Amino acid sequence: MKATHLLRAVARRVAAAVAVLLGAATVAFAALQLIPGDPVTTMLGPFSSASPEVRARIRAQYGLGEPVWRQYLHYLGHLLRGDLGESYQVQRPVGSLIADQLAPTVQLALSALAVALLLALLTAVATAGRRRLLRGASSLLELLTVSSPSYWTGILLLTAFSFHWQLFPVAGAQDGTALVLPALTLALPMTGVLAQVLREGLETALHEPFAVTARSRGLSGTAVRLRHAARHAALPLVTLTGWLAGSLLGGAVLVETVFGRPGIGALILQATTNKDMPLVIGLVLLSALVFVVLSTLVDLLYLVIDPRLRTDQVTP
Amino acid sequence: MSRLSRRPVPLVAATVAVLLAAACGSGSGSGGGTSSSDTPVSGGSLTYAVDTEPVSWDIDVSQQDITGSIQRNVFDSLVYQDDKGQFHAWLASSWSVSKDLRTYTFHLRKDVTFTDGTPFNAQAVKTNFDRIVDPATKSQYAAGLLGPYADTKVVDPYTVQVSFTKAFAPFLQAASTPYLGFYSPAAIAKYGSKLGAGGPADVGTGPFVFSSYTKGQSAVLTRNPKYSWAPATDAHQGPAYLDKLTYRFLSQDSVRVGALRSGQVQVAKSVPPTDVKTLTPGSGLTVISKQAPGGVYNLVLNASRGPFTDQRVREAVQRGINVDADVKSVYFGAYQRAWSPLSPATVGYDSSLTGTWPYDPALAAKLLDQAGWTGRDSSGYRTKDGKRLSLVWPLMPQNLVSQQHDILGQAVQADLKKLGIQVERPRQDVGTFVKQLFGGKDDISDYSWARADPDVLRLYFNSAETPAKGGANGTFVKDPDLDLWTEQGQTSLDPATRAKYYTQVQKRALDLSLVVPMYVVSSVYGASTHVHGITADANTWLEFHDAWLGK
Repeated sequence: MKATHLLRAVARRVAAAVAVLLGAATVAFAALQLIPGDPVTTMLGPFSSASPEVRARIRAQYGLGEPVWRQYLHYLGHLLRGDLGESYQVQRPVGSLIADQLAPTVQLALSALAVALLLALLTAVATAGRRRLLRGASSLLELLTVSSPSYWTGILLLTAFSFHWQLFPVAGAQDGTALVLPALTLALPMTGVLAQVLREGLETALHEPFAVTARSRGLSGTAVRLRHAARHAALPLVTLTGWLAGSLLGGAVLVETVFGRPGIGALILQATTNKDMPLVIGLVLLSALVFVVLSTLVDLLYLVIDPRLRTDQVTP
Repeated sequence: MSRLSRRPVPLVAATVAVLLAAACGSGSGSGGGTSSSDTPVSGGSLTYAVDTEPVSWDIDVSQQDITGSIQRNVFDSLVYQDDKGQFHAWLASSWSVSKDLRTYTFHLRKDVTFTDGTPFNAQAVKTNFDRIVDPATKSQYAAGLLGPYADTKVVDPYTVQVSFTKAFAPFLQAASTPYLGFYSPAAIAKYGSKLGAGGPADVGTGPFVFSSYTKGQSAVLTRNPKYSWAPATDAHQGPAYLDKLTYRFLSQDSVRVGALRSGQVQVAKSVPPTDVKTLTPGSGLTVISKQAPGGVYNLVLNASRGPFTDQRVREAVQRGINVDADVKSVYFGAYQRAWSPLSPATVGYDSSLTGTWPYDPALAAKLLDQAGWTGRDSSGYRTKDGKRLSLVWPLMPQNLVSQQHDILGQAVQADLKKLGIQVERPRQDVGTFVKQLFGGKDDISDYSWARADPDVLRLYFNSAETPAKGGANGTFVKDPDLDLWTEQGQTSLDPATRAKYYTQVQKRALDLSLVVPMYVVSSVYGASTHVHGITADANTWLEFHDAWLGK
């Protein structure tokens, strides 16, 4: 009985995921249709010396002369068979293009996420409910990191740690040292947001009666924070982390450009400026997939953190 | 176009091999204060930071400068052209051109091999040229370089005959560009359309081998140890000195310059004008600046619509922009102001045009009065029959704006406002921009067009060369003289005859006030003083066959 219950829940999840992906592909397709201009001209650029014959050839090859609804159905058909099509610009399958660039971005995103969580946890635990000055200084710093554009942060970090002290290489993904600055750049604004939210949560929890009880049993301030308050403060943190992690892909665009790193970021930039439709939709699908996976993970984490949610339904 | 270094930039090369490194010691021994000898040293690895990354690496397909400039190291051409427009033997040891300029016969070197070990011969030439014109290749540029191509005949294993359906004078120049360089036929057969992905699949005969490519990061070229067929104009024969040449893709100006300053790269492309003065030999760095040939950065006035149908209004704009002051203040003296639509670095440039149309706001105002724009509205702009004198000059889409053209545009806007002319600068997306421009719906457009041949004037002023057809005639004018002279210039190989026509074209275009030449586009590179022997070709691209690293 319990197994079928679980199975049904999983099936519901998968169906929802497929619907989200289809929706994302459709919206992306529609958006690209609405952008003014002929796709072939956009792709070649305003001052291309390509002859009208070449343009016609490209148009025919990608079926761009067909009515929009046929292009859409055609595209959907391929999509359902798992075929993402071929990039107009690079003339390679979109699937393999993305696969080739995925690893460096995942590496960057995960490191940034880890760094952000660690830093946020450290500052929040250290400053929650403590002296005003400390708390204020930390808040100010967080606000600064959140509001600085990441390419600016990146250039500042590069100027100091790479150009001046030469501790880290400027660019590339050849080894671990090349990952430090980009990961930090991407992590800093996240750290700011997460630390603020976590501190709020901690402070609220610290005022709850259970915190008073725990302290009256002789626990130290930090221990109360970590063992008792942290669990309560974790729920909003998890939701936010999930959402922020989803947006990392967008942040990677700038960071990868500044640091000259390989990855999805450069691909996104190239695809959108050149109106490379198959590649754009492929990347939209990727980010939709990331969000679907993350929201599932967040839901599961809720169950782990909050025992009250485990009692009746498996999934909300 | 504003973004000359990025897009189509047809570069039919006349090569101006300038020993840039003279300043840092290789030729003159004068620079740097280092005691390193002038004798080149073999070995070492050089990293070169460039600002863009090729979309397609396929020289037969790509229209990008960056593709051609990197692949130049990997692919050789039939002939080499020097800065005086003279052609030299390269993969072809000699050649002849038929009287009607329709048939070119090349006698090839017999000792050249591709880096996959297969021989370079007449069949290889045929295979490559036939591939370029094959519609399936979807060539965006190389096919255009072959013009009225008819066919290529293999006369004997090392003699090849390329024919055209009509006289085609620009062919030798076209043949000197990397876009008409040669892939190993074996690589074409094996990889076909995958050549665009770059990497070891791209097999040529050049001084370097394309070893690896990491998209978004770098391309690594390594020395071709068997290379011994450099053009005679190179400083040395035999393999390149460098073991390894790495191209790093760093699109941010500050990052590129920072990487150069901290020694993480030895050469950096496109140093912004603000940084030029800080790169001094005392800092261990030096600037290599070279004027690009072809069309300068011009404001192109669309004479087919609105107020610009009146030549007096066009002339008022031409004389009412303070070009000297604007260019100086925006670029800190890094670029020279232009007097002709053609760059001084181009064969056929008319230097007598210097100073012929100086800034003269009084004259401009008089011309506008004569044209009937005598009224003034509440905002101070001139009016005629109740209509404001307003011109539309769209801003290029953000990703195509380069070299602070938007800021230079503001200076122009301010100059013209003083005369009572309103200049509107709507920001457009690529699609809208192209549609408007192709349709001749704007009053002003702005672009340069790098090309090492005065034939670029045909693209600018021949009535057949509209932007929609791949030309650059944003003036949308049909002038019989301009049409005739630009066509005649194309059908002659005689330098004197060509110079005569192109001088007339430059003068006529200015007399008709069809363009406002602004500044001469220059390629500005930063380099470590340890780097010697880098040369720049006519396209202002760096060549590395003679490059070596000193102490």
